[in-house]
Amino acid sequence: MMGTSFSRLKGLSSLSGGGLLGPAATVIYLLFIGLPVLALLIRAAQQESFFTGLLGGMALTALRLSLITSGISMIIILLVGTPFAYLLARNTSWMLRIVDSLIELPIVLPPVVAGVAMLMAFGRQGVLGPFLEALGIGLPFTTGAVVFAQIFVAAPFYIRSAKLGFQSVARDYEDISQTLGISPWKTFWRLTIPLAAPSVLTGFALAWARALSEFGATIMFAGNLMGTTQTMPLAIMTAMESSLDIALALSVLLLAGSVTILIGLGMASRPKWQNRL
Amino acid sequence: MPVAEGWVKCRVGGFSLEVDWHIEEGKVLVLFGPSGAGKTTTLRAIAGLVRPEEGRVELGGRVVYDSSAGVSVPVHGRQVGYLTQQYHLFPHLNVRENIAYGLSQRGQPKARSEVDRLSRMLRLDGLEDRRTWELSGGQQQRVALARALATNPQMLLLDEPFASLDAELRRVLRRELRAMLVESPIPVLLVTHDLEEALALGDSVQVIDGGRIVDQGEPLRILGQPGRGRVARLAGVENLLSMTVESRNPQDGTMVCGGGGMKLEVPLDAAPSRQDDAPDQMENILVGLRSSDIILALEEPKGTSARNRLAGTVASVELRPPGYEVTLDCGIPLKAQVTGAAMSELGIKPEQNLWAVFKASSCFLVQEETPPSRDTGAFP
Repeated sequence: MMGTSFSRLKGLSSLSGGGLLGPAATVIYLLFIGLPVLALLIRAAQQESFFTGLLGGMALTALRLSLITSGISMIIILLVGTPFAYLLARNTSWMLRIVDSLIELPIVLPPVVAGVAMLMAFGRQGVLGPFLEALGIGLPFTTGAVVFAQIFVAAPFYIRSAKLGFQSVARDYEDISQTLGISPWKTFWRLTIPLAAPSVLTGFALAWARALSEFGATIMFAGNLMGTTQTMPLAIMTAMESSLDIALALSVLLLAGSVTILIGLGMASRPKWQNRL
Repeated sequence: MPVAEGWVKCRVGGFSLEVDWHIEEGKVLVLFGPSGAGKTTTLRAIAGLVRPEEGRVELGGRVVYDSSAGVSVPVHGRQVGYLTQQYHLFPHLNVRENIAYGLSQRGQPKARSEVDRLSRMLRLDGLEDRRTWELSGGQQQRVALARALATNPQMLLLDEPFASLDAELRRVLRRELRAMLVESPIPVLLVTHDLEEALALGDSVQVIDGGRIVDQGEPLRILGQPGRGRVARLAGVENLLSMTVESRNPQDGTMVCGGGGMKLEVPLDAAPSRQDDAPDQMENILVGLRSSDIILALEEPKGTSARNRLAGTVASVELRPPGYEVTLDCGIPLKAQVTGAAMSELGIKPEQNLWAVFKASSCFLVQEETPPSRDTGAFP
């Protein structure tokens, strides 16, 4: 890791003709990002009761809840987001282009605002509140609300990336596939999905990472109830008030998850044919 | 037995297309026309990728589209082989997987032997495990053809299939396509704007322009000596001469006409309707003459049967593979095609005095049906 960054630095200085601004900025930035990460690991290692914290009830409960809710969120995002992304990639009507530009609103919207907005929609005093209450459904402060919040903030990452993936597959390929006797549905699975796979997988990983780290919308809309709505990020915040062990253990766990996703993205590097499309 | 026939009317934006076709098995119908004439739309309508407003498409005795009967078989049920200009080989599959893509029992022994048969037939054996981008242009073209043939198509739709290949490779692949049609006699509709290709591959030709068939028939007649002004320009007739009829000679079947200080003997304007309807208005005519039909001579040839012998000065010499195009000023500029060998033997150079010799029957009358449209200026 360090080796590569140093060789990069050399490359940088030779490129900038001996100017020091670029390399200096790079070092400062790397320290800025690297130090806290490193500090987290060092402090966690110093902690005597690190594993007790990790195996404690609160941490495990939060971990299980995070995995279950983000798993459900990702299944829903895949099922709804994939056909939606495909439609956006193929249809160029002006209405869909407007929809397309609104897709990314949740990415720029502060998550806390998203939480408030969801309360205003599905909460007891929300727009749909009386209707849901009549059906006997109380969404806020349930595990369902956690899933809602995660989908709201994470789905755009998947849809945006999958859409770009589908766009990279020229329609002529699908046309040819159909003239070869393959139905549109089978063409999608045998041709479009494999060809768009790198972008679809990237979108999936980014969305999942976003769902796992979701905090603001969750605490607003779902609250912070252990075992029901207290996902890992919420558990970390709660633990910070009482036990640093648990907070550190959970943080290291999330860090490990993030690094795994990052490595996974790098490993699933673009196949050779990507630029032949 | 007619194997592929039909007609379609399509409307794409403001463009309207109206074509019909009739192709016997193993025969090639060339759809010849400029870009934007509706050639590709025709192919896509037959394949089912474009929905016509009206029409009827019959493939191998099966009606796959009939607007009046409400029949419209989806693309994947039509059994047509469609080859695009860029081939569109599937990049995530190797050559074998590409060829086998449309086979229903991929991986089974029967499918494997079919892929092997096609590979041999199209000289792709040994390349089966290659990635598609490792192939040459000609090989890619063959893989696309093999992939289409594997699904046992009832008709082949070829959209400028040789456009991105060099001239030598084109000739090879044309021969191969011909050989393939002997082995698997399928009706072929081939789209091109290349004259040489149309002449080399077409059993018959339909000239399409602005969404309409403007002429059809035997390629050498239709494109070699086109009778219509628009077709003559599309087919690149090098000499189109505006002349006035001076005298008719019905016994010989010729007439003499003049223009720009030169006199030509050309075939008699035989179409009776024209003479009956408006004998006076036909005095102005357009004479077409292929540059390859002109013989250049250093002196006036004596004792020749060629009726036209014109003296002129060399105005320009241009390289035009496979030879040279010499423009001779005979009062009107006349373009003649000569080989490199003839060039050096005659020592042709600008300002030289030469004789142009050609038969009366090399000249053909071109009917200017409508005022030339704006884009005709691009053609000589």
